[in-house]
Amino acid sequence: MLGRIVFFLCLPSVLAAQLCKPNAAEGFKVRLSIKTALGDKAYEWNRNQRFLFQAAIAFAMSHHLELEFNVSNILVCDETPRVSFWFVVTSPGDPSRLVGKESVELAVRESRSRINNILLLNDATLEFVGVLPTLTAPVKPATPSWLIVFGVVIGMVGAGIVFLLVSTVVQKKRKKNEVAEEEDDDEEAQMKRTAGNEGIYNTSFSEYDRNTQM
Amino acid sequence: MASDDRDNWESPLQFVLACVSYAVGLGNVWRFPYLCQMHGGGGFLIPYLVMLLLEGVPLFYLELAIGQKMRLGSIGAWTAISPYLGGLGLASVVTSMYLCLYYNIINAWSFWYLFHSFQSVLPWAACPVNSNRTGPIEECEKATSTQYFFYRETLNISPSIEKSGGIHTGQALCFLLAWVITYLFIIRGVKSTGKVVYFTATFPYVVLLIYLIRGMTLHGALNGVKYMFTPKMEELANPTTWINAATQIFFSLGLGFGSLIAFASYNQYHNNFERQAIIVSLINSGTSIFASIVTFAVYGFKATINYENCLDRTRILLLNSFNLAEDSIILNNVFEMIEKLNTTFPEQFAELSNKLEDCNLENELSTAVEGTGLAFIVYSEAIKNMPLSQLWSVLYFFMLLMLGMGSMLGNITAITTPLRDFRFLSHVSNEALNGFVCVLCLLLGLGFTTRSGNYWFTMFNDYGATFSLLLIVLFEVITVSYIYGIKRFEKDIEDMLGHRPNWFWKIMWGGISPLLLIGLFLFYVINYIQGGTPTYQAWNKDLGKSEQTEYPLFGQAFIGLLLVSSVSCIPLTALYIFCQRRKHAQRQKQQRTVNTVAA
Repeated sequence: MLGRIVFFLCLPSVLAAQLCKPNAAEGFKVRLSIKTALGDKAYEWNRNQRFLFQAAIAFAMSHHLELEFNVSNILVCDETPRVSFWFVVTSPGDPSRLVGKESVELAVRESRSRINNILLLNDATLEFVGVLPTLTAPVKPATPSWLIVFGVVIGMVGAGIVFLLVSTVVQKKRKKNEVAEEEDDDEEAQMKRTAGNEGIYNTSFSEYDRNTQM
Repeated sequence: MASDDRDNWESPLQFVLACVSYAVGLGNVWRFPYLCQMHGGGGFLIPYLVMLLLEGVPLFYLELAIGQKMRLGSIGAWTAISPYLGGLGLASVVTSMYLCLYYNIINAWSFWYLFHSFQSVLPWAACPVNSNRTGPIEECEKATSTQYFFYRETLNISPSIEKSGGIHTGQALCFLLAWVITYLFIIRGVKSTGKVVYFTATFPYVVLLIYLIRGMTLHGALNGVKYMFTPKMEELANPTTWINAATQIFFSLGLGFGSLIAFASYNQYHNNFERQAIIVSLINSGTSIFASIVTFAVYGFKATINYENCLDRTRILLLNSFNLAEDSIILNNVFEMIEKLNTTFPEQFAELSNKLEDCNLENELSTAVEGTGLAFIVYSEAIKNMPLSQLWSVLYFFMLLMLGMGSMLGNITAITTPLRDFRFLSHVSNEALNGFVCVLCLLLGLGFTTRSGNYWFTMFNDYGATFSLLLIVLFEVITVSYIYGIKRFEKDIEDMLGHRPNWFWKIMWGGISPLLLIGLFLFYVINYIQGGTPTYQAWNKDLGKSEQTEYPLFGQAFIGLLLVSSVSCIPLTALYIFCQRRKHAQRQKQQRTVNTVAA
């Protein structure tokens, strides 16, 4: 009786050992780089942290497949000092059956940022070997920022050119008016000069009579 | 002779600053450091300074003297010296025209980078994400993010020169802006240019000084400076070193384009250009050396960062393959661990051998880059790693703009000044003539904003001006020394300066400089013939790197056209004048015979 109880108690862990092994067909290798991510604030990888990881994966699976997964459905094995290990996910209905690799991958990808945040890591420091990260799409503003700066600069330069051209035209007009005034002044001065020297012969009062006198 | 109401610089300082602004250009920043690195670091200064003395200063002096004496642009000045040599001036104008067409595209690129620096994350700092958001774009991963930004986002470069693609609108807009600003700077001729050069000549030095201080405090900068400046004296025995030094001095001072003649033609008759020539040449060379120190500091920083990244990748590879704890390998003991792991786990290590990179600081330092690659790729890579990178980026590209714009002022003045001297254009206002030249260059230069524009740019850069300038300056020196006569030239200088030039100048003009130029010219010709089909670097987007490709037939024909078109002006004009004179003489003879008959 005792033997059978012990057998049944050991069965899950034996099963677990058989289901979870390195290079398992439905398993994933996970690598954590805690010291790289957190430096001085790095936590020690121990049983409790592992529990948190299992809980996070259970959450991701439940969220994706909308079934109830438990921490005991996530089996972890082959831990190394690197802090890397393999995990497999067993089906909640039948603990001896593994959930397919594709479902696990999709679940992880869907909740990747939540899992990262739970463990205080990011896509680079929490590596699921073989699962591609889902990168955030870059934010694209309606007008690219460079066009705005370009618009401002070309506007200012254009205004500068227009200003210079207009001022040249205005200067030229002013010069022309000045020259016209100068010419007028010149003529007057010329007239004054000629009046002073010889004068313009005004023939109205001359005694020279073109008509012969009768 | 020109009329007395020719525009003048407001002060000799404006003239000096204009010459400095013109001569100190992009070549000082992106060509000289490369040459220094390739030809033995600090030792390169010896051939450089020797060539400055033998060739740079005398030829600079010569061009300034001609411009100041004749008070005309290059065409008018050479026609005045000898009518058969008007073609020399015309060749200068044609070469300046080619330069104007392609030079402003560099300013357009500087504008593009400058405007893109006003973002929270510099766009060339990280690769953009691909369409299904699983990773970076493939082309960007194979190359680096800075290369991707330059070749794909800035240029959208096509795979080869045959495939021209469409115009890149962003480029075209920046190109338009570059020409609009150029027009603003030269709108009233020297009256505008004289004011602008106060800024374009001095601002680059402010930025270089700031960068020197920042550069020297960067991590690993001293590696670069030490590596580059350690002289390797054996390079001095290589003739290529001396030839490259001569060529660099020659092109750096901007001789032969007619810009110096144009600038000097606006001087007062008794301006002391002898002292100014020496000052400007020394400033130009000093700036090259100054810029190299900054560039080497930046190189050192970039190389050290790349080396440390390589070490980091190796460390992660080892940690992941051997499942060791994270802090067992740090950057300092990567090589020791490699040794240890190799001895402890030889088979496992052998499996890694093809993934293991060879991290070598010297290899990183010895990657020498010049030209647009240095200015836009290497520098932007270094900048993205600096803290406050947007500020450094803005400063740097603004400096590039000032250098480029300053040189453009000289290039454009070299075209507008001779045009202005023609009598049939004298009633056209300054603004209209300058505007016409700018619009013409803008329209013709739009070809450089197409997807294959960078390849055409390289072609113009390599062949448009190099060869013809050597010939032009050679003819200039021989003309002044032997056709015009050294004695007459001496008297002109005495007239302007009040004293005759030293025997040193006369020996240089009469003997040493022409011989050097003939030597350089022969070297170019031999190199060109021996080089076989001319090639260019085409960007391969699948491999993410440039490959050497031969120019197609139409490309080679165009190169030939570029080389021949400017140089042939000299004999063709001489022939034309000769024919005209013969016709004129014949007509005079006819008239005389008619008169005698009538009488």
